Amino acid sequence: MAKLRLEITKGEEIRYISHLDYASAMERAIIRAKLPVAYSEGFNPHMKISFASALAVGVTSQAEYIDIECKEEIDVNQAVEHLKASLPVGIRIKGAAYMQGNVPALMAIVNLAAYEITVPLLAEDIGIIEDSIRWFNGAEAVLYTRESPKGKKEIEIKQYMAKPITLTALEKAVRLILEIRITPTGSIKPGEVLGALVAMFDLPVDIDNLLIHRTGLYISNANRQVSPVEL
Amino acid sequence: MITLDPAMLNRVVKPARYTGNEWNSIKKDHDTVSVTVALSLPDVYEVGMSNLGLKILYQILNNREDTAAERVYAPWVDMEAEMRERNIPLYTLESLKPVREFDIVGFSLQYEMSYSNVLNMLDLAGIPLFTAERDEHMPIIIGGGPCTFNAEPVADFFDCLVLGEGEEVMEDIIAAVSSWKKTGKVNGRSGILKSLAQIGGVYVPSLYDVTYHENGMVAEVLPNCPEAPLVVTKRVVKDLNKVEYATRPIVPFLDIVHDRIMLELFRGCTRGCRFCQAGVLYRPVRERRPELLLKMAKEMVDSTGYNEISLTSLSSADYSCLPDLVDSLMGELKEQGVSVSLPSLRIDSFSIDLAQKVQQVRKSGLTFAPEAGSQRMRDVINKGVTQKNLEDAVSAAFQAGWSTVKLYFMMGLPTETDEDVLGIADLAYKVLDLYKEIKGRRGAKVTVSVSCFVPKPHTPFQWFGQDLANEFERKQQLLKARLRDRSITFNWHDARTSFLEGAFARGDRRLGQVLLKAWQNGARFDGWSEYFKYDVWMDAFKTCEIDPYFYATRHRDFDEVMPWDHLSSGASKQFLQREYEQAVTEELTCDCRREHCSACGVCPGLGVEVLDWGSRA
Ligand code: SF4
Repeated sequence: MAKLRLEITKGEEIRYISHLDYASAMERAIIRAKLPVAYSEGFNPHMKISFASALAVGVTSQAEYIDIECKEEIDVNQAVEHLKASLPVGIRIKGAAYMQGNVPALMAIVNLAAYEITVPLLAEDIGIIEDSIRWFNGAEAVLYTRESPKGKKEIEIKQYMAKPITLTALEKAVRLILEIRITPTGSIKPGEVLGALVAMFDLPVDIDNLLIHRTGLYISNANRQVSPVEL
Repeated sequence: MITLDPAMLNRVVKPARYTGNEWNSIKKDHDTVSVTVALSLPDVYEVGMSNLGLKILYQILNNREDTAAERVYAPWVDMEAEMRERNIPLYTLESLKPVREFDIVGFSLQYEMSYSNVLNMLDLAGIPLFTAERDEHMPIIIGGGPCTFNAEPVADFFDCLVLGEGEEVMEDIIAAVSSWKKTGKVNGRSGILKSLAQIGGVYVPSLYDVTYHENGMVAEVLPNCPEAPLVVTKRVVKDLNKVEYATRPIVPFLDIVHDRIMLELFRGCTRGCRFCQAGVLYRPVRERRPELLLKMAKEMVDSTGYNEISLTSLSSADYSCLPDLVDSLMGELKEQGVSVSLPSLRIDSFSIDLAQKVQQVRKSGLTFAPEAGSQRMRDVINKGVTQKNLEDAVSAAFQAGWSTVKLYFMMGLPTETDEDVLGIADLAYKVLDLYKEIKGRRGAKVTVSVSCFVPKPHTPFQWFGQDLANEFERKQQLLKARLRDRSITFNWHDARTSFLEGAFARGDRRLGQVLLKAWQNGARFDGWSEYFKYDVWMDAFKTCEIDPYFYATRHRDFDEVMPWDHLSSGASKQFLQREYEQAVTEELTCDCRREHCSACGVCPGLGVEVLDWGSRA
């Protein structure tokens, strides 16, 4: 058994597919590429692949990670070449490495996600935007109500913010840069942070037209911050 | 190219329905081709993407250097609202170009209840609804699929309708459109329509005039120009081994209805069930060679990455080399984790053996379609299944470890009595008893699904008056009262939907007005029960002063001119009448696939023959 870890993207072309769709697209690409992937035993064998973190519908990413459990260790470059030829547009391979030894699951180790949110401005004055972000960054705690089919739940956002939000002004739009902690007890979605900014901090943006892009997933501790393929 | 706002896509359900870029989808530069085609099925993406015919045409047309074929499906109601609000016209998934800019728009008409979506899509595309209102700058609107054999209710909206199999005729159509364009669209719209009318299997409704008797019946349907033939006869592919197949089908991102490889073993089914339209329309039986099928299957696994192959045909278990084919498929593809499935089971123990082989471990339910509850009724419809066949099949299934059985039936068949209806319940209980006998305990689950019979054109029952909706409902209650056991689940169809389907299935051109009115008043997605608006339809009939009962529930005489008499499946009216008469006297007709020819007229008339490898070996 060998565990092949890939760094892959989810591009603009497939922004609106769900995480499940993305996973099955990878599964089918792996079959087309004829990688020697392993399957689980039992009634309904499934391919042994796993992802670091689910990506929502409408979100793109330049840093997704997948572990592919292989029955044999074929040459990395060869595996990447075969897979490249089999990937749909919108998925590119940026890095690949076999993980040595008994490595923990991606899900269990990734604890930080970085995002860019690009959203059209509803105000001319960038100063208003800066004020609103400064206000949010300075707040002790921000309570956000998450509504789902299961009901309402109050969440404190700031505990998940790894860094203050920074911003870049674009033409008629603004780009926010967020770093969000992923913890065993939960996390917050970038869209929810924007929702809080609009609802509670008067951020004058056209939230319906937001575009979210994940720029990184990391394993972060006091000393260093590395991506899962840099381990 | 259309730009799609994130705000719109963020808001709708399943936005990936509208953004394309799937594996195996093909994007061509429109400047490099001479003909552009938008292929459509007037229903939501997941349904449209599952249609085999469109997959085949997509490949055949895109194989041509001079043609770009793209896809468009009906936007779901949420997306439609967003598009209308933002003035976004209907566009194709490959180039995101407005459908209105294409040379040809082809709709696959699989069921009558999708007609309102055709109008809605034309409207969303900004294309005038009526053929008479379209000039030579507008796309040519073509219909295909089984409904074209009586698409009179939509005749005013289509430029042409293609009868029969599309593989060859679509190429003829492309050639005609391409040369018409090269000559600068000579003679405009009427030029191309007249040249299309001369292609076999192509029906151009505007080149025919319909006259009616005072009593409302059709008097005559006659061509109004020399280019249009008196009768349009379907196209049929002589040898399926020689035509292209969808070996590189598009692999969608989201789950679709049939999300697997479809391996079409053969076309046609001549078991001769008298209610079945497909059985007449796709005659004769033509099998693909097993070697070719195996090769195609491997190609498709490689080109798609799917890990399931469904053996699709009208009655797959009838394939002459099935056991060998299944063995070789499983043998050669097992390594790659590919499984094989059979969508329909014949009612015999042979089928159970096969099902057991392919589904080795998964014991999900088995589905059988006895179609009718009593032996008498099954003889009327020529469903060659006996009580013993059924008992054997179900027993074999229980012995093999299955415990869930689904049974499909119809009610409202010709000559049906309450006793026949209750026969359905008897059968369900018999299945429960068999389980107890075999296993020594209770524990079987039986689902009984009963649909309302809709008489279809080109079938022996085309003369038969459909049951009234309240008669259907009475029979449903009768059966419900009898099916009280907790191990039995009883599902039935909405009688009113079937009534509307019945009116449109055997309708004539006058129903076009009703369709238009109903669509204007909000009818769409009529095949989806949550959107079916019965009252809107009944109001539309009333406003147009058209009686739906005239079409749905009226018995016809054998000598009445049918609105579709000028559209031929190759099967003669005499054959259909003979079958109706034999139905009434409960006489069976054999399957011409392996027994003698029942002289339906298709083979001599169309110059084709039965291709069944088993019978020749
Ligand atoms: S002509 Fe005879 S053999 Fe051919 S489909 Fe009809 S009944 Fe069958």
